[in-house]
Amino acid sequence: MTKLIINKKEYVLDLKGHETLLEVLRDKLSLTGTKTACEESECGTCTVNINGKAILSCITLAADIEGEEVTTIEGLAIGDHLHPVQQAYVDYGAVQCGFCIPGMIMSSKALLDKNPTPTQEDIEYALDGNICRCAGYPKIFDAVYKAGEIMKRGEAVKEIDEKKDKFKSTMAKGLTYEEFLNLPK
Amino acid sequence: MSISTNSSQNQINLNPVGKSVPRIDGKGIVTGQTKYVFDVSFPNMLIGKMIRSPHPHARILRIDTSKAEALAGVRAIITAKDTYNIKYGSNEYFFPHTVDQMALESEKVRYIGDEIGAVAAVDEETALAALELIEVEYEQLPSVTDVLEAMKPGAPQIHDAMNNIGVILPVNFGNPERAFKESFLVREDKFYASAAAMAALEPHVCVGQWETFSNKITLWASSQAPFKCREALAKTLKMDLNDIRVIKLAVGGGFGGKLEMLPMDFASCLLSKKAGGLPVKICYNREEEFSFSRRKHAMYYKVKTGVTKDGLLTGMTGEVIADGGAYCSYGPTVMAAAIMRIFMVYKIQHFRINGYRVYTNTPISGAMRGFGGVQSGFAIESHMDLLAKDLGLDPIEFRLKNITTPNMVTVNKMFLTTNGLKECIEKAAVASEWTHKRGNQSYHKSGILRRGIGIGIAADVMGSKMYKSHESAGAIVKVEEDGSVYLFTGAADTGQGSNTALSQIAAHALGVKYERIKCKSGDTEITPFDTGSFASRVTFISGNAALRAGQDAKMQILEIVAQELKIALTDLDLIGEEVLNTKDKTVLMNFDKALELCYSFNYGKQIIGRGSYNPKTTPIDFRTGEGNVSGSYGFEAQIAEVEVNIETGEVKILKIWDAHDIGKAINPQSVEAQIEGSLAMGIGYTFTEDLRFKNGRVLNPNFANYRVPRSIGTPEMHSILIETDDPEGPFGAKGMGEASLLPTSAAIANAIEDACGVRIKDLPITPAKIIQALKDNQSIT
Repeated sequence: MTKLIINKKEYVLDLKGHETLLEVLRDKLSLTGTKTACEESECGTCTVNINGKAILSCITLAADIEGEEVTTIEGLAIGDHLHPVQQAYVDYGAVQCGFCIPGMIMSSKALLDKNPTPTQEDIEYALDGNICRCAGYPKIFDAVYKAGEIMKRGEAVKEIDEKKDKFKSTMAKGLTYEEFLNLPK
Repeated sequence: MSISTNSSQNQINLNPVGKSVPRIDGKGIVTGQTKYVFDVSFPNMLIGKMIRSPHPHARILRIDTSKAEALAGVRAIITAKDTYNIKYGSNEYFFPHTVDQMALESEKVRYIGDEIGAVAAVDEETALAALELIEVEYEQLPSVTDVLEAMKPGAPQIHDAMNNIGVILPVNFGNPERAFKESFLVREDKFYASAAAMAALEPHVCVGQWETFSNKITLWASSQAPFKCREALAKTLKMDLNDIRVIKLAVGGGFGGKLEMLPMDFASCLLSKKAGGLPVKICYNREEEFSFSRRKHAMYYKVKTGVTKDGLLTGMTGEVIADGGAYCSYGPTVMAAAIMRIFMVYKIQHFRINGYRVYTNTPISGAMRGFGGVQSGFAIESHMDLLAKDLGLDPIEFRLKNITTPNMVTVNKMFLTTNGLKECIEKAAVASEWTHKRGNQSYHKSGILRRGIGIGIAADVMGSKMYKSHESAGAIVKVEEDGSVYLFTGAADTGQGSNTALSQIAAHALGVKYERIKCKSGDTEITPFDTGSFASRVTFISGNAALRAGQDAKMQILEIVAQELKIALTDLDLIGEEVLNTKDKTVLMNFDKALELCYSFNYGKQIIGRGSYNPKTTPIDFRTGEGNVSGSYGFEAQIAEVEVNIETGEVKILKIWDAHDIGKAINPQSVEAQIEGSLAMGIGYTFTEDLRFKNGRVLNPNFANYRVPRSIGTPEMHSILIETDDPEGPFGAKGMGEASLLPTSAAIANAIEDACGVRIKDLPITPAKIIQALKDNQSIT
């Protein structure tokens, strides 16, 4: 039996040696938020975080990550409070068909946890393994920048771009990032 | 630390049309809770796999499934003998002779991957093992995989079509030869536009369930056109439409690839029947997706144009040869789009372009975003720059002399009403500092890195009658006693955001905040009919239905208020959640109060608004190309600035500007997102996306070798929205979503010529081609 820690919950599972984390998440645990569009490490759609790093679950053997901290898209929001990265993706219209978005958000979060003030180049490199076919990438870049600002400053960003009449973005329900992180889980 | 209470979660959008409200499905998507058919699973669900031909062209002599049937865990196997052998097609109504595909082929296979059967087993492993045990005896036939070879006399015959030409589309007006004689100069160019893959991230996937006792089918499908899928299923399964329910969940992208019923949809239902009613899921893997779904038609585009000394177009002739692959799919409409779009863009009286769509023993070409307009956009807009160069005219000046205008009837009887093309060109030119950069020898024209700027323009329909005599969309707005508002629309949101835009329209028309709307879409048993998501039609056509349903619901509420307050109905309105007396501008009550009244003891009136819209078009005569295909037309101009490394041949796009006449932006953020997505796809098509074949087999069926744009190198994109307030559109809106893809390749090719003097006429534009052209110092074809 193998003990996996996923979104801070422990699962004790009878795993076969060849089962990937992706298969375990989707087929065994019904955590279908993590997608895949290739199963051969090319599309980034299956990205999760393991110990804070963006990792492709389609080429990660589940049995190999016993005891490590796995976070999936289902593990970001707290109650009905979205994580700032999630909130920014909604606010900046970075979402189209949405199939790439869970992986895209997990890559974004891994970047911003390490570096909340990324340059354009940092963002492009961090997300280069994640294909988006619908939206191009500009709105995704916007979302990552602004989420980083919220996470770094620990405060709400009031106005995004007044000229363009875009949405006001704040932390979910007016919380600071610090307060968000301290919400009762 | 101050906290704003104005978070978007609390934002109220009273009059939502024209605002960048958040996507109605945004939170579901970012939390991973949105369900796609990809995620659907049922107890006892079987996994299906298609039995495919390994040969490009062969006769089926014998299929023996007995060994596979004996394998433990196999629950059902079907082949053509389990079917009625009924052919179906996508342009059946207008082009009955193009109905050429069977759900499971019975006699012949025509491409590597052609479906001849399917298996269902308890899991994927068993289903794949069963495929290995199926014995098929083929008699291999001579095959032809090159489109030009396929047209030659004596080439292997794939269907009963002379010279393998499945579709001939002659578009013919006036007398172009005479026009050429009277021209100052005549120029001819040949272009090649390559095949491309849709590459939607969610693959083709479906779950079929046949309730064997009630004889009813439910198909959960990742579909752009659930009603069209239902029709094809009913035909091939000899069922009544009403015995089939097709349900679309969230769809992970379509781009034209999910417009048609595929054999897998049919197979999942029939396998379910044979397995006693257990649900059967079939999901393509990425290799199947690249190899066996649909692709963009590769096209040879020859065009010859005459101009006067002043730069006015006199006449145009040409020939389009498209590689159709093994079956017809949406071939006729792709050809029509490849030829007839030019009338929306340029004033031209003498014209003859003949289109030939040719069968080959390769995977099926279909309707990829823009239909044939992307290929023709590359050809025509490159050709226009070459004409301007011959005349010594600035490309923009040349185009402005020849573009269509508002309120004009084109030579093929299209009625262009609002037309912002001129404004699009002018605004894009100003934003990009065109006059400073174009042809300016002092602007980065020396050294290794050379800069250039180029333009392409385009126009697009918003809808097209492709499979029925009408193209209507319906909508229902149901206002519940608790104040919740449901919008039921048949429109299929495939990720573009139509559920959001239609909800904005319905809310605004009803006079309530956007946040009240719950949108239910794309379920053939629950929602009104809609032909689907294609041809940029949804905002315009389905939007008009949502508008009418919202208005109808509003009138029902106001009738009760009028009766209760004894005020004339004509003096009442419901705007922004308030019932107003329009005479003295007083607020009579809020929406909740009005609703309370509707559902009160005295009235008990259920509020159910309905709307239906069918665009005002005229029948198209496909023998000539005459007819008004769309209820309105959208326009756009695109300018690309590039930097060419003349040592390596690499091209970097510095900036790209897109000015788009969208009538009215229902949701500006979504409009921009559609433009940006189109630009990315257009850039990919221009440089790297090239689906390659050898002997009918796809050589690059994966993301490693078929390179779609990734985040590194994304250029700055600037959208300029031109609002021409279309009288026919909902709140003045037009459709959009495809037009921005049409001129991209040409704008880039034109910019490359401005940068370094070479003209690339075949896609994709690779560094090797640029280096070769620089060496030759001339155009390559």
